[in-house]
Amino acid sequence: MIVKQLIFLVILHAVSTKSQSSFPNKGHTNNWAVLVDTSRFWFNYRHVANVLSIYRSVKRLGIPDSQIILMIADDMACNPRNPRPATVFNNANQHINVYGDDVEVDYRGYEVTVENFVRLLTGRLPPGTPRSKQLLTDEGSNVLIYLTGHGGDGFLKFQDSEEITSQEMADALEQMWQKQRYHETFFMIDTCQAASMYERFYSPNILAVGSSLVGEDSLSHHVDPAIGVYIIDRYTYYALDFLENVDLQTNKSVGEFLKVCPKSVCISTVGVRKDLFQRNPDEVPVTDFFGSVRPIDLMDQVAIEPLVVDVGQRKVVPSTKRRKYAYVQPIVNVDTVSL
Amino acid sequence: MEIIHILGVLMHIHSVLTSQDTFSEELLIKPLYSDQVYTHFHFSTKWDVDMDTETFNHSRLFPRALGEIIKRFNVQELHVSLTGGLWRYENWGYPVVDAAPGAEVWAWFRPDTGDVDKNWKLLANSLSGLLCASLNFVDKSNSISPEFSFQPSGAIDSPNVNNTYLRYASLPREIVCTENLTPWKKLLPCNSKTGLASLLNSGYIHNSRYHSVGLHLRQICQDESCESVSLDLQQTVSLVYDYGILGTKDWSLSKLFGQGVNGRCVLASRSEIYIDITSTTARAFTLDPQPDEVLTSVRGGHHSTFGKYTLPRNFFNIYTKFIDKEIVSLNVPPVLHANQYLTGYGQERGGIVTKVYNNHWSELDVVLLQDIPWYVPIYLHTLKLMSNDIEIKPVALRYVPGKQRERPYYLEVFIKLPPRSTTSVSIDFDYVFLKWQEYPPDANHGFYIGSAIISSILPVARNYTGLPQDGTLISHSFNASRSGYLVQVRTENMVITLPTPDFSMPYNVICLACTVVALAFGPLHNITTRRLVMKSKKKESLLVKLKKFLSFNK
Repeated sequence: MIVKQLIFLVILHAVSTKSQSSFPNKGHTNNWAVLVDTSRFWFNYRHVANVLSIYRSVKRLGIPDSQIILMIADDMACNPRNPRPATVFNNANQHINVYGDDVEVDYRGYEVTVENFVRLLTGRLPPGTPRSKQLLTDEGSNVLIYLTGHGGDGFLKFQDSEEITSQEMADALEQMWQKQRYHETFFMIDTCQAASMYERFYSPNILAVGSSLVGEDSLSHHVDPAIGVYIIDRYTYYALDFLENVDLQTNKSVGEFLKVCPKSVCISTVGVRKDLFQRNPDEVPVTDFFGSVRPIDLMDQVAIEPLVVDVGQRKVVPSTKRRKYAYVQPIVNVDTVSL
Repeated sequence: MEIIHILGVLMHIHSVLTSQDTFSEELLIKPLYSDQVYTHFHFSTKWDVDMDTETFNHSRLFPRALGEIIKRFNVQELHVSLTGGLWRYENWGYPVVDAAPGAEVWAWFRPDTGDVDKNWKLLANSLSGLLCASLNFVDKSNSISPEFSFQPSGAIDSPNVNNTYLRYASLPREIVCTENLTPWKKLLPCNSKTGLASLLNSGYIHNSRYHSVGLHLRQICQDESCESVSLDLQQTVSLVYDYGILGTKDWSLSKLFGQGVNGRCVLASRSEIYIDITSTTARAFTLDPQPDEVLTSVRGGHHSTFGKYTLPRNFFNIYTKFIDKEIVSLNVPPVLHANQYLTGYGQERGGIVTKVYNNHWSELDVVLLQDIPWYVPIYLHTLKLMSNDIEIKPVALRYVPGKQRERPYYLEVFIKLPPRSTTSVSIDFDYVFLKWQEYPPDANHGFYIGSAIISSILPVARNYTGLPQDGTLISHSFNASRSGYLVQVRTENMVITLPTPDFSMPYNVICLACTVVALAFGPLHNITTRRLVMKSKKKESLLVKLKKFLSFNK
């Protein structure tokens, strides 16, 4: 059979009358988020609610699922102990189902390990890793890294069996910087003694915030008596509260976000490290990290030029021998089996 | 210029319209004998395409993401299921698609595949990304190539089947939740916005006794002559709702799924709902609205009646009303069912027993497949088949011993079950120690052994809902009498507690050792650094001593 086919490709050929310099100088071209819950076991429900709160917010503000790496060490939503299956709430009054009806978890259960986390950040993943499990950032990427779990002075526990130290974390970020894997990083951590995790950072363009200073515990917000465990941590609860009032057109700044949980409500002191960050956080829109706002240049004139490609005669060579297909017995016939 | 443009677009539309793919959506609702209702969603995409020449760069209804994967890894047939809960064969009969608790995946690779193990590993990795499941844990060390049980279900062009191109693996511990359903729904042409998929609301799905999400891809004959094949993708969701959880026996689509159907999927050539009303005599209910058509199906001597609804374009709901007749009906268990349990005590030796029940009046040929992880070393010489207390011999047996950290134990036994019998297949194993880094973070939870799979071709179709091999739709199973009906019964998973070391032991040892060292060091240091000086001892007379004593007491 010979098929004569013409393929018409219509491409949008945009003619811009403006110069490139009219792009708003945002510095970054894309947004990524790495959201990690490192705690296993039901009583750590709150850490899953924490990470899903941030997931919900960044997704709502426009970062697509393909650019969010979500790591959750245990299943809370479909846990048999959960009286409301397939939900994770941020509040005992069930205000927001942070798990939602549209969620993609990239690393889950036993996959959440220090090795996988560091490999993800530094891009040293084994061959065959699917795209959804890779952090495909470049020098124009603004990366939000959010960690939650149980921490101590200088470490964060993963799954109750191993830990990442602050030095390892700092080295991983330095490697990311050297490999041009980020433009700016917003490092956010909600654990006990959270500030110890970013103390050793030495790579540029990192803004770090932790829910508590060294020597302080981060506290949980409240218990849901129906579930029987603490639902969410204080710092993330107020961060979500802030982010729920943010939309894409917002002019709220990262500076405001850093003040989201004063000591009177958080009980712990929120630690901030700004010395590595080049810009003034008060002038950085919060959507630079939590949203995906792309620079858009409005053009006065757009011309659509059809591009006609004649691929000519594309011959489909019929297979030379006639094939004969057949269904086989679903189970091997016992009479034909050699014993 | 513009004319060319419009022409181009029109040509493109034309080429799309003539592409040979169809999509159908069906829902089967069947009230079960006990207080449950079984709902089975069946989305079928059929595409007349030549796998050898198709590049999968463009597709209309078929999910391109999946097409790329099967092309890249040279897959001929692929079956994936993600299941929460256990199908209770004894009370519920047979499902349309059998699935083991947890994740189960098996694939046939095309005979020209070079390195099957490598492709299998990469395929599992890709599927883990596609379905958000931990399928990347599938590799050589937990995969087997069963010889009897998993023949290709699609049409193949060579009569000889070589099982070296088959890989099967199960992850019994895999949890199934919304995150698996979300990407699965994105493979459907209408997504979950309209059509039957709009019923798949996660909160309602996971509030059920059993939920299973499946993906089955194979080649089927295009026509009777079967000289060319089509790709057939079946996406299934099976759910079993419990009236106890629902709180009522008057179920409706909105009660089961949270809302009615949001109109039919416009891309579907067939959008139908079938409700099994056979059981009306025992568990009677009325339907509102009345079915568009009532179908009677005679299959393998078994009569059933279905109410058929064709989905309209607008919002649609079905209500039922339970009629309490106070008639107690007897549950006739299906012909073949099985269960599995552990025997033994202590942490040295144990055994696995699989009990297979044959309720039929004649002999049944069954194949029992066991995929035992490498950390459960079984002993073949302890394999014992007892049927009604009489020892029987297997007809055929395949066994590949496992290797630590490299491959699992694979056991496949062909058994002739005597009529009306209970056959127990038992085998013993040892408990082993793992290396300390091989224990998972929650080692005390236990280690899973996957389901045993008992496959058989049943002579009767009682309690049977499966599709015939050449069928792709639920409607193809009506009046589909065949010489046999394939069932693949899955048993329970088992959890064993391997001897788990006390992981705080090194810490304790360090503490203890330090204490011992400190206790030993103190006196030693004392003894070795102090100078011992002899003290001269004068001899005193008794009188002086007495004087001293008295003066002291003064």
